[in-house]
Formats: sequence, C-alpha cells, structure tokens
Amino acid sequence: MSIEDANPTTETPETSADEAKIRVEGVRKVFGRIVALDDIDLEIESNQIFALIGDNGAGKSTLMNILSGVHEPTAGQVYYDGDPVQFNNPSDARDRGIETVYQDLALMNDLDVATNIFMGSFPTRSLGPLKLIDWGETYDLAERIIQEKLDRDLNLETEVEFFSGGERQLIAVGRALAFDPDVIILDEPTSALSVDATNLVHETLRNLREQGLTIIIVSHSMEDVLDLADQIGILYHGELVEVTTPDDADLETLTNLIVTGQRGD
Amino acid sequence: MSTQQGALDRLLADTDNLLLTLLENMIWPILLLVIIAIFIAVPQTLSTFNSIQLILWGGVPIGLLVLAESICLLSGHFDLSIGAIAGLSGMLTGMVVGTCPACWGVSHNAFVGFGLIVLIGLAIGVFNGYMVGVVGINPFLQTLSFLIIVQGARTALNTQPATGLPSLYIFPGSKPKVAIGIMLVAFVLFGLVMRYTRFGQAVYATGSDERSAREVGISTSRVIIAVYAISGVLSAIAGLMITGFTGIVPPLIGDGLVFQAFAGAVIGGISLFGGRGKVTGALGGVILIQVIQSALNNSTVIGATQIQMINGIVLFVAILLYSTQESIRSRILAST
Repeated sequence: MSIEDANPTTETPETSADEAKIRVEGVRKVFGRIVALDDIDLEIESNQIFALIGDNGAGKSTLMNILSGVHEPTAGQVYYDGDPVQFNNPSDARDRGIETVYQDLALMNDLDVATNIFMGSFPTRSLGPLKLIDWGETYDLAERIIQEKLDRDLNLETEVEFFSGGERQLIAVGRALAFDPDVIILDEPTSALSVDATNLVHETLRNLREQGLTIIIVSHSMEDVLDLADQIGILYHGELVEVTTPDDADLETLTNLIVTGQRGD
Repeated sequence: MSTQQGALDRLLADTDNLLLTLLENMIWPILLLVIIAIFIAVPQTLSTFNSIQLILWGGVPIGLLVLAESICLLSGHFDLSIGAIAGLSGMLTGMVVGTCPACWGVSHNAFVGFGLIVLIGLAIGVFNGYMVGVVGINPFLQTLSFLIIVQGARTALNTQPATGLPSLYIFPGSKPKVAIGIMLVAFVLFGLVMRYTRFGQAVYATGSDERSAREVGISTSRVIIAVYAISGVLSAIAGLMITGFTGIVPPLIGDGLVFQAFAGAVIGGISLFGGRGKVTGALGGVILIQVIQSALNNSTVIGATQIQMINGIVLFVAILLYSTQESIRSRILAST
C-alpha cells in the first residue's frame, strides 16, 4: 500500500453527485422476539459527518453493526455507492471501504503506535516464499498517517498505554486509515474524554472529512453531535424518527426526539 | 517558574524513559557483570573454551524449555507441562527405539525416533492449545493437569532407564557443538519469527490484549493452538537433547525443569502478563542461570547443598528488578 492509495484528498469521489455514499432501504433487524430496527430508510452523503443518536436500546448500535458487517439485516437492503451490498462479516465491509473504530478502541497497550496502527495490515516484503514484515515501511507509513492525515506528532515507537485518551482515540482512527477506507464508523468516539481531548478528536474528524472521508459517529452526546455533525439521524425504539441538521435542531429538540420520538412543542 | 517546572518535568520524563529502556534490556549488562565477577571470584569456571562449551551444552535442554515457555508467556499464557512433555516424549520414544529389557524395540531407526518424539510433543501441545484456546479451559488448570497426567504416564511406562538407543538418535544431543548449535538456531529462528512475521506479532497482540487482538481480526484461538504446539515441539526436542546428553533416557527425565524454565524466561525479561519481552533476552536468561550454576559448582565457598537456595535468590533479585520496572511504568502512566 502506498500513501497515495491511502490518501483520497485529491481524488474525485467515486459516487456521482446525486448518489448517496450509503443508502439503507427498508432495513429491519429482529433478534428473537425483539425488533431492534424496523423499516429504516436512510441516506448518508459522501464527505459528511453523519451522527446517529438515540437512547439505550434505540437501535443505533444495531444499525452501526449492520453497516460494519457484524450483523446482517433480517430484511431490507444496504447500498454502497449505489450498488446493493451484503456484508457477511466485518472483513466484507472492510474490503468495500468501511472501517469501524469500536468504543473500546481495540488497542494493544504493550505495543507501540506504529505496530498498533498496522496490526492486521502490516506491509510485507517477500523473501523467497516468505512474507516478512517490512518494519521500515511500517514506520514510514504510520508516520505519514499520523502527521499528514491526522495532523499530529506522536512518537511512533512509544507504547500506546502512555498516551492520553484523545490520542488513543486518534491512534485507533489511524489504524482504520491504514486500511485505506472511504467510510469510517466511530462508536462513541468521545465518551469518557476530557473537553480538550474531545476537541482534539472533533478537529481530527473534521480534518478527515476535508480529506474526502465519510464519517459516521454513533453517540450519546448531543453536544458532540451538534458541534460536529452535518446531519443527525435520531433513532427511537428501533425506528428512524427524523434526520435533521444542527441548524434545524437544538439541544432541547434533540432531547425530545430521543426521549419521546417527537420534537415536542 | 513554570518554565523551570516544565524543564524539570521533561528531565524526569527523560530519566524515566532511559531507565525503562535500560531495565527492559538489563539482562545483558547483568550477564556481563556476573561474568566479570566470576572471572574474579571463580576464574576456573570460564577459563577454557571447553569449560564454556560445557556450560552451554548442559544448558541446551533448559534453553529449549525456556524458549518454549517464553513464547507461551508472550502470548499471555503459560505451559506448566513442558518438562513433563520432554519426559514423556523422551521416554516413550526411547522405549520404541531402545533395546533395553524393558524397551519395546519396535524399530531401531533413528529417524523413526526423531519423527516420533516431535510428533508426541506436537500432539500434546496441540491438545493443550485446543483446550485453552477453543474450549476455554484456564491455562494453569489445563497444563497443571497435563503436567501430572504426562509425568504420570512416563512413570507408568517405565521406571528404569531406557538404554540401547541408536547412536544416530543420541547424536544431536551428545555432540556439544551440534547441541549448542540447535539451541542457538532455535532462538535465532524464533527471534526472527516473533519480530518479522505476522504470526509473531499476532502472538504479541494476543498476549497484550486478547480481546483487542480478536477485534482487529486476529484468530486468537489459532494463535493459542500454534503457541502450545510450538511449546510442545520445543519441549520434545529438549527431551531429545537430554537423551543425547546422558546417552540414555533417565527415569526421571524432565522432572523439575519447568521451574527453571520459568526462572530463565523471567530473568530474561519476558513479562509474566504477556505481550512484552524478547526471546533473545530469554537466551540471556538461560546463559545467566547456567553460568551462575557452573560458578557455584566450582566454588570452594558455596557447597552443593546451597546451590538451589542461591538460584532462588538470583530469581528473586530478578523479580525485584522487574517490579522496579513496573513501578516506573506506573509512574509514567500516572503522569500522562
């Protein structure tokens, strides 16, 4: 992989202007007797930050898991760049260009930044029939991801346990970027972060949007989504009750939508 | 004032980082210091090439077991049954290829012996790995029960030495240069595997955080099975080396070696909690243990009855040094 491959900044998005990056049509997901999602229709445009919010059990994690390939929908269809897609596992979603950063970040504390970023996608070079990790390339690419795409300066040889919460979130995003995705889904990216760390993560996500990525965040925090998102989808008891923008909704409106499924007065 | 404080903080942080790097690689300066001390106190220990060769040769079986244990520890697991696997695989194969009265003498072909001993170690290792990695049995309970079962099976098979072994079968362990070469090749090979292959890094990832490793797409159950399989095979080769060293299969082959193997790995800087350490450091641990053992044997001050106690003290000092490392890590963590 070269950094040019991983950097879509100068490329024209593959989708046509009127085609959504991700379109969800009539998606339903049932676990036993529980209907987790019911008849969801949703469009997520390219180069946007789309936030999914809702109370516990509203279905946002289920929808996120369908988009990231963890769950298959019981009914309905997901379209990616206009093509109908079926993700049987996260690796199918990854192959298509969707990466997920889970809430626990899945970092290996004893390993350094570069190793964490490329765990699962190490650049290799061939030695006869053997494929050996190319550490020089690993550190070069990790440096470019951290410096150019995330606009940070982290010591790549430092073990990740020594970094702050915000920096750890960025390292996890760095690992997603190593797979050269078009879409990154982040589960609760700023939960348990300080104000400074939250601002750091927001700044980075805006920066990635400018570089052409589509970002989906799943969040409890209404302040977060009002500050960050271009569009906000509100789930209530498994139904998508509204898709709005920060200009059309304030904190009170979002609270009403989350708690009652309606805007209120 | 704040600038001074900042400079002080940076100086403290740099000092901590330097200390941490030193402590992570401390086996080599310690080994050097111990060798210098031995040259002064018990010079005959390392006075000739032959004496050095003898020290290393005697350390080959334990070296292979330290390597086996180190790879298990790096994956966040451990294997109590390594000494017992060396024992059973050595004894069973000795019974098959030996000509002693109690032996079965099925074949006198050395290659049957090589194949069989490795296969026995592999089979027990894969079973341990499957039970831990797939069924989910606690590694302590799994390998403790297999320590007892496997050691008991060896005793049930034969309580006498197995003799009359093919000369080619005992050759690798009986020639010092060959035996030492096998140990060094094993360490270099696994040192490279751990550093330069995706499997090696997957072992570190699994040892550091098994759940995270799974989330990034590593099949941790496969890694665990492979780690125990490697452990079993290396243990069996250690059994072959003991057999070659003594020329027979001793009745108590493998007994008590697991403790030394743990000691070597820990002294060599392998973390008991997984994910941290280098197998080359473990080689340093093996050499340190063997050199000290030999110096004690040559010492006129310390008697044979005191050697085990001294070994225990060496291990304890190593543990103290590594706990210092942990407290420095905690201090750095607290300041971030």
